[in-house]
Amino acid sequence: MEGLRYQLKSVRRDKMCILTFLLPVVVGIAVHLLSGVSFQSIGENTFGVWENHIDADTVEWLQANGTVAQYETLDELRAAVNEPSTQMIGVLQTENGIQTFISGDELEMNVRIADTLPQIYHNQAEALSATKTMIPAAANNDGVRSLLIVITLVTAMFMGCTFNAMNIISEKEDGIELINQVLPLTAKSYIIQKTLLGFIGGMLSTLITALICVRIEIEQILPFLLIVLLSAYISALIGLFIGYFSDGLMVGIVYIKIIMILFLAPPIFFYLTVSESSILFKLSYFLPSSATFYGIMDLLAGQTKALFPGITALFVHAILWSIVYVLLRKRSEQMHR
Amino acid sequence: MWRGFSHLLKKDFRLMVSGKFFLLALLSLFLYSCYINFVFVNLDQEMYPVYLYDPQDKLPVNREYVTKLDSREALEAACKDQYSVGIDFSRDAPEVYLLSCGRETIDHYRMTWGEAILHGNADGHADRIGPYNKEMKNRREITAEFLFFELSAVGFLGLASMLFKEKQMGVIRVHGILPVCRPVFILSKLLLLLLSDLVFAILLTVINLGAAGAVQVLPDVLLQAGILSLIMALVGFLCAVKLPDFKQFSLFYLILAVFVTTPVFLAEQTGMKWKQIVYHPMYHLFKAMKAAYFSAPITKASYYLACLGAIILLFLLSYQTLNREIAKEG
Repeated sequence: MEGLRYQLKSVRRDKMCILTFLLPVVVGIAVHLLSGVSFQSIGENTFGVWENHIDADTVEWLQANGTVAQYETLDELRAAVNEPSTQMIGVLQTENGIQTFISGDELEMNVRIADTLPQIYHNQAEALSATKTMIPAAANNDGVRSLLIVITLVTAMFMGCTFNAMNIISEKEDGIELINQVLPLTAKSYIIQKTLLGFIGGMLSTLITALICVRIEIEQILPFLLIVLLSAYISALIGLFIGYFSDGLMVGIVYIKIIMILFLAPPIFFYLTVSESSILFKLSYFLPSSATFYGIMDLLAGQTKALFPGITALFVHAILWSIVYVLLRKRSEQMHR
Repeated sequence: MWRGFSHLLKKDFRLMVSGKFFLLALLSLFLYSCYINFVFVNLDQEMYPVYLYDPQDKLPVNREYVTKLDSREALEAACKDQYSVGIDFSRDAPEVYLLSCGRETIDHYRMTWGEAILHGNADGHADRIGPYNKEMKNRREITAEFLFFELSAVGFLGLASMLFKEKQMGVIRVHGILPVCRPVFILSKLLLLLLSDLVFAILLTVINLGAAGAVQVLPDVLLQAGILSLIMALVGFLCAVKLPDFKQFSLFYLILAVFVTTPVFLAEQTGMKWKQIVYHPMYHLFKAMKAAYFSAPITKASYYLACLGAIILLFLLSYQTLNREIAKEG
């Protein structure tokens, strides 16, 4: 406890550190307020049409299958279809149906949709004897919005890592590390003191952010807390690792940059593109942030299927990395003696 | 004055080498190029797969996109991904079966697609009006993104790490009494960073677009890279002079990387409608960079004037802050 008081004292002067922990909270508020953004349209088909040169029922039919954007001139329409960041399909009315055009750089799916759309439209009136069965989705998830929230939460947890790493590296540069070696400080108390600060900061920042932008059912509070607890601990621990391996601030920054990319990019990538039953998806649990990411994503969607593997994976990570770190420190202490 | 300038340049260059700045840039270059060439280029999204359960072989042909299954259970299991479409032809009337993905129009289209497959209505060919194929578009797009990310991060970080080192060594205090013109102190750093950023841009573009594609776009790309590099380096300079130590600066950097550049990517990449993003200054820089890669450079004079204004303003601010800092150091 005495040690923790000293740690807190050294942080208190650092107003910027406190501000940094608050920043995810600010972003959480921003995400929360972004109600004006139409996140829903992502993933839908988009059709571009030439205003006043298309029948109202064609537009209606297209609107049932995706979003429709109207353009005043043909040139504007062609420019919009050619715009690289969109997957827009241009639709023109012809005498007996519709004609489509695309830029040619679209995803396979959108190319197929554009290719086949005229025939589908032409034959829509055919007598359809098929029965249609649609099983409703378990919960209405608000795709990108919850993605943004989870990214913010994971970043908030990551703050603990950055804070710890920076703290240790700057102590190294100031020579405090050397002083620690002659002080009667055991490896255990050093680890606890150093982990605790980043852990508490990261956890508080995550929880406040979560309070602002996530609405969680009562029965989900416990798993959520567990995930936050474990992830914040792991991230604080990673901070210790970075502090251990880097001998200068610049090198530390590079490590943090790499870890940050590893923390944020693969989970998003796997979540969006890889099917949950594939081996690749299961392998992604080797990254602690993936487990966190899937777990929270599931909680937001009101499901529980990734909760158990996620929490188990986090638990294993927490124990494994703690042991590795303790062993590393023990070895380096022996080497110094 | 110019003799002093060349000495400053030499000193800054040595600082960059000893700070492993170039090694870092090369490593990033290698990492990005590997990702682009081995992963990103192959990304695609398949058309909704259709699973068919047809024990009596009523549906005549083995159509494209269709996978045959042996039982109703297998069909339902295959459709669990909320993406695939199932057709059950075991009874008299065929049934199109799917799990909703939560978006009305997508579900509607998937249903339509299932019916079209059922009736054999899935032929045709749309006109291609664009100049690029998917691979070339992907390469241009991702190269623009990486360059933007790297320039905004490295320009910022590179200059700051140099300056902090100098601060530690007491160089700022020494400069207070040296007969060196103070703007030159900033200029020599800017020039070196600008040059190294331009070299990075050239290498990244040539490696990932191929020599022929790179030659076409490089003039525009270099112009945008130069603007971005100057702005970010100046912002880095300002922050580095203002903030007391590198630790605080690095936290600031983390925030910049995650929260300033991510919304820009999201807004531009997903094509989502987000009107307020135009007030984000980095958004315009990113758009200009991307436009340059697609051989459609921004020609609006207002954009270039704004950039020039920003650079001059930032330079003056940096100059003033440096002066104040030197005065403080005595």
